[in-house]
Amino acid sequence: MMEDSDAALVTRAREGDQDAFGVLVERHSTRLFQLAFRMTSNEQDAEDTVQETFLRAYRQLDRFESRAGFATWLHRIAANCSLDLLRKRKRQDESGDAVDADGAEPVLSGAPTPDQYVFHSEVQQTVEVTMKQLTPMERTAFVLRHFEGKSIEEIGRVLGTAPSATKQGIFRAVQKMRRALEPVVNATS
Amino acid sequence: MNHLNEEQLVLYHYGEAQDRGDAAEHLESCESCRANYQALQRVLAAVDNMPVPERNEGYGAEVWRQLRPQLGDRTARVASRWSEVRSLFQLPRWVLAGGLAALVVGAFLAGRFWSQPTPNAAPSIAQAPSPLPLSPQARERVLLREIGDHLERSQLALIELINTRTNGAVDISAEQVLARELAAINRLFRRAAADAGEPGMAGVLEELELVLVEIGNGPVQLSADEFTALRQRVGDDGLLFKVKVVTAQVRAKQRDASRELAANRS
Repeated sequence: MMEDSDAALVTRAREGDQDAFGVLVERHSTRLFQLAFRMTSNEQDAEDTVQETFLRAYRQLDRFESRAGFATWLHRIAANCSLDLLRKRKRQDESGDAVDADGAEPVLSGAPTPDQYVFHSEVQQTVEVTMKQLTPMERTAFVLRHFEGKSIEEIGRVLGTAPSATKQGIFRAVQKMRRALEPVVNATS
Repeated sequence: MNHLNEEQLVLYHYGEAQDRGDAAEHLESCESCRANYQALQRVLAAVDNMPVPERNEGYGAEVWRQLRPQLGDRTARVASRWSEVRSLFQLPRWVLAGGLAALVVGAFLAGRFWSQPTPNAAPSIAQAPSPLPLSPQARERVLLREIGDHLERSQLALIELINTRTNGAVDISAEQVLARELAAINRLFRRAAADAGEPGMAGVLEELELVLVEIGNGPVQLSADEFTALRQRVGDDGLLFKVKVVTAQVRAKQRDASRELAANRS
């Protein structure tokens, strides 16, 4: 049996068919989780972001323009949710009250735990730590460009930045990544 | 062509270099730039190894299982608010709108909002064209509570919105849903106030409604400039202050009505 297209499911969901929206949720959750995790570096935050993304999407279904592609639209919402979270964490970090209710590690905190060292290679660890040290803007720009392949224009739309500033954000992220990773990569190659 | 700097190499890697052809040619011919570019590629390839925790096949279904009640809650929340008011009047929603408006008009006409209540005021309200099977005092208390709640909700929504800290674009999707809901309720009170010849209150409600409609029907994403303009309109231009003043007046009236009721009972 042929699967319903995203557009057909969106139409049904707009008409009040929640099950149709459920199919969209099931279809896109994993990819959204990957994006959210790369943005937040925290499993729980990423799962919360996925939930928040679908909630926002559901409330905004009438605003979705089918020519945009549902997945693209969803990813833009997820990037915004993640960015909001990163900024919130940064503010908490700056005000010195970066304490997670469940004791989880704050997104922009420093060194990884010893357990993480055990389970990940040095390169992976360095990537993770460096990602956490990027500003929310740099991180968003980098993840959307490097992992999601989004255009400068689209990234700028999420960040509210001009193309030149968006490019600068990507460049600064890569520069920081390179500074941190090059010694490790060279040592292991 | 000069050697490619780091920024040019990064842009080239992501296909964003303006002079991509020239850069490619240069990389062909320049060993040092080529080595530099290869080093960059190695680093970015290593980034691809960033681990992402696996989700099992049932993850999407699990997300939906958790999400679905929240969607239901939202629908139920709006519905239950109406249902609460409707049950008070035991009338369908469209009649409630008319009834509540009539109630507001009646209350305004009776002068119970902005002047001291008099023993003769209650019959005036009772004579208002309302089909609601409630005593005038009960209607007044319900009305005052409804208006006060509405104004407080509107205030909170606006305060929350203008206090959003941002360095760039702002996503107001969540606020838009609430703004539209508040605008619909506000319209009812605003029309009634205008019909009842209360230009002061109607003016504040109109100003509030314009902003709520603007937020509710505007773009999901506001640029930094758009957000600053909205913030100024709400905060600096005094709308919030006016709404606070009207809210305080309504709440004071509500307290008076409760005291009056308690005195009548004792």
